[in-house]
Amino acid sequence: MRGTLIFSGSSCPALTGKVCENLGMTPADAELTQFSNGETSVRILTSVREKDVFVVQSGSPKINDTIMELLIMISACKGGSASKITAVLPYFPYSRQSKKKSHRGAITARMLANLLGVAGVKHIITVDLHASQMQGFFKCPVDNLHAEPLIARWIRQNVPDWKEAVVVSKNAGGTKRVTSLADALKLNFGMVTTDKKRGNGNMTGSMLLNPIDAVLDPIGEQVNEAVEHEEPSVSNITQPIAGTTSLARRPNGSSMHSAKSLPSRLRSSTSALDGVDEEGEDGVEYNDQRAHEVTQARLVQGHIVPDDFESPAVSAATSVAGDDPMTMSHASSFFAPQHHAALGGSGDAAESSDEEEEILKDPKVEHMVTLVGDVKNRTVFIVDDMIDKPGSWIAAAETVVKRGLAKKVYCIATHAVFGADCLEQLQDCDCIDHILVTNSYPIPEEKARNASKLTVLDLSYLLAEAIRRNHYGESISPLFQHIME
Amino acid sequence: MSGEMANEVKLISGRSHPELSEKVAKRLGIEVARTISLNYSNQETSFTVGESVRDEDVFIIQSTTTGDVNEGLMELLIAISACRTASARRITAVIPNFPYARQDKKDKSRAPISARLVANMLQTAGANHIVTVDLHASQVRSVFAIQGFFSVPVDNLYAEPSFLRYIRENYKPEDCVIVSPDAGGAKRATSIADHLNTGFALIHKERPRPNVVGRMVLVGNVEDKIAILVDDMADTCGTLVKAASVLKENGAKAVLALVTHGILSGKAIENLNGSVLEALICTNTVPLGDKIERCPKIRVIDISPTIAEAIRRTHNGESVSYLFNHAPV
Repeated sequence: MRGTLIFSGSSCPALTGKVCENLGMTPADAELTQFSNGETSVRILTSVREKDVFVVQSGSPKINDTIMELLIMISACKGGSASKITAVLPYFPYSRQSKKKSHRGAITARMLANLLGVAGVKHIITVDLHASQMQGFFKCPVDNLHAEPLIARWIRQNVPDWKEAVVVSKNAGGTKRVTSLADALKLNFGMVTTDKKRGNGNMTGSMLLNPIDAVLDPIGEQVNEAVEHEEPSVSNITQPIAGTTSLARRPNGSSMHSAKSLPSRLRSSTSALDGVDEEGEDGVEYNDQRAHEVTQARLVQGHIVPDDFESPAVSAATSVAGDDPMTMSHASSFFAPQHHAALGGSGDAAESSDEEEEILKDPKVEHMVTLVGDVKNRTVFIVDDMIDKPGSWIAAAETVVKRGLAKKVYCIATHAVFGADCLEQLQDCDCIDHILVTNSYPIPEEKARNASKLTVLDLSYLLAEAIRRNHYGESISPLFQHIME
Repeated sequence: MSGEMANEVKLISGRSHPELSEKVAKRLGIEVARTISLNYSNQETSFTVGESVRDEDVFIIQSTTTGDVNEGLMELLIAISACRTASARRITAVIPNFPYARQDKKDKSRAPISARLVANMLQTAGANHIVTVDLHASQVRSVFAIQGFFSVPVDNLYAEPSFLRYIRENYKPEDCVIVSPDAGGAKRATSIADHLNTGFALIHKERPRPNVVGRMVLVGNVEDKIAILVDDMADTCGTLVKAASVLKENGAKAVLALVTHGILSGKAIENLNGSVLEALICTNTVPLGDKIERCPKIRVIDISPTIAEAIRRTHNGESVSYLFNHAPV
């Protein structure tokens, strides 16, 4: 393309090479090194004056170096009088820190957006932002591309019985992403939630006292809106579940209404199914089925255990209850050094399931895993936006296989961050049959070679097309549409 | 008591130089604020302030760890941002060794002015005030250049008063001659020579590329004197080591080096140990870690009293210029 330069950051030369190949170009010359004191050095070796410049940078294990390199490259191009600079960030760093989680935590994603603006970015192209609301952080336009059409196409072409499959979210926060894929493939969806407390009936007791409608009504909103608020939504979903088991004992008339409303919100993803749902007969059928759809399991040290498994020394519930609730404010518990050590020094306890992982591994704490939805003898797609730590994926896979009796499990995510030995652990997990990711985040070659279950989808065409359309001022919208055969 | 709450100094330490922060806190008679700073498994940095900073006067001390400059810089930015969202009244970034200070001009085609970028980033994150020590000033104007990048006030503190005291306490000034290892540092060296009333010499060097040292010529007389090389930073120490041998060849009795920032990257320790330098005297603006054990020639001047006093004066709205000529005891 005339008047266009594509620079590659040091994190993703392979992806940039493919993007350029798609566009019939070669990456522009730049020398990226470090001074001996660790400062990043950037030399742009070709003229950028009045050029349409694209800088491609993904994540890497040295994420802060990667970010500084990107900022300095942008700054150098701006200083070199580029006409427009677009940052192409297949994986947007710090996207998980997009809200104030604890007292006095930083909204780093917003700060990074501002920093990019200060460096001189006029446009951002990214893929599957962790929270799409993040687009509001930028003063410049953001094209948030979706890998979902690619994933959906791969599923249609490579999964033999995909029409019978179920899409499962491994935490309440990711439900929205899951419904979207389920909608695209016209599949049912389910959900796995992990509850730190043991739900041995004591919860059911109190729930029964509540009017059923009051319990059920908020749930639809909770599922859709509480995308990020793991903690509250987990309990909100388990509560009505605990209540519903007893519903069957209620007179038929009163349970009918709630019976229909729960599955139509939780299960049905297509209007076609909704239609079926409204038929009285199916509603009754669901009513019976519903009690079976909710499966619970015990999770100890990150793995599903049989019901007669000896209970560990302390359950999470008692360890929490042991402290005075008044002093158990987030900050005080968080800052107690021993508690911090228990977290393994990494992760904000209440952030997301990924950060909960360290607790999942705590041998002293037992969790209650709840599976909502019928997966028996079906293929299951467990979907989230990124795979960083393996614990929640393995727990979800074991739940759907050992408890839900699923036939096959596919772990699907856009960003393959694969922290530490994550990929090895997923590879070794018997309950996972396939791992499907994209190349938005670079995967070390030897790591990928040793993982026979891994399939990496190529995003380069999507990115190249977005770059081309941006350069020529064409619409990006067709890239969001699903490719139907 | 009036209903108004006096706002107080909150001292926050980044992970790069906790020892310096502790020393500053001790001088100020306060505690370093509780914070949690960690890296997630994907190496993203997270920073949480453990106590309220609402309406407080926040000072964040962050130096740069050699080899991990970007890590420290990002942590500082995130810490500033965290304090900003936590409603601090004012946020002062105390950066004893300003990162990317040397990349302060477009000296080649399309060379990034990274120092300006860092200045802009600090402001964008929410810093209201910058305190730093001996900004790199190979060209005198670049001090003003970096200060000019900020639209927020910058206090550039000087290690010179501490140096003067050190020389007076350990050597007879009349035995010494102050040497600048390059033309750019002449002003700094003459200033010290003037204060001590000693002689002054200059080494002219040709520098083909950064971190590579060319031929050196001595201008001035160092015979039978203790030659004290003065510079703002010792990085790979190539310049200092070469300058020291030039001075020895020209009859210097002993050669010392006096620098503000002991960055000491690459082969610095090996270079120092194998050199004719008697000692490298630097301040603790940069964490030295185990380098002191690995190199017996390194001596450290504590800069924390100057930083603490600057914080105290900034907080109380007193003049900082007193510190330009006096080292607090």
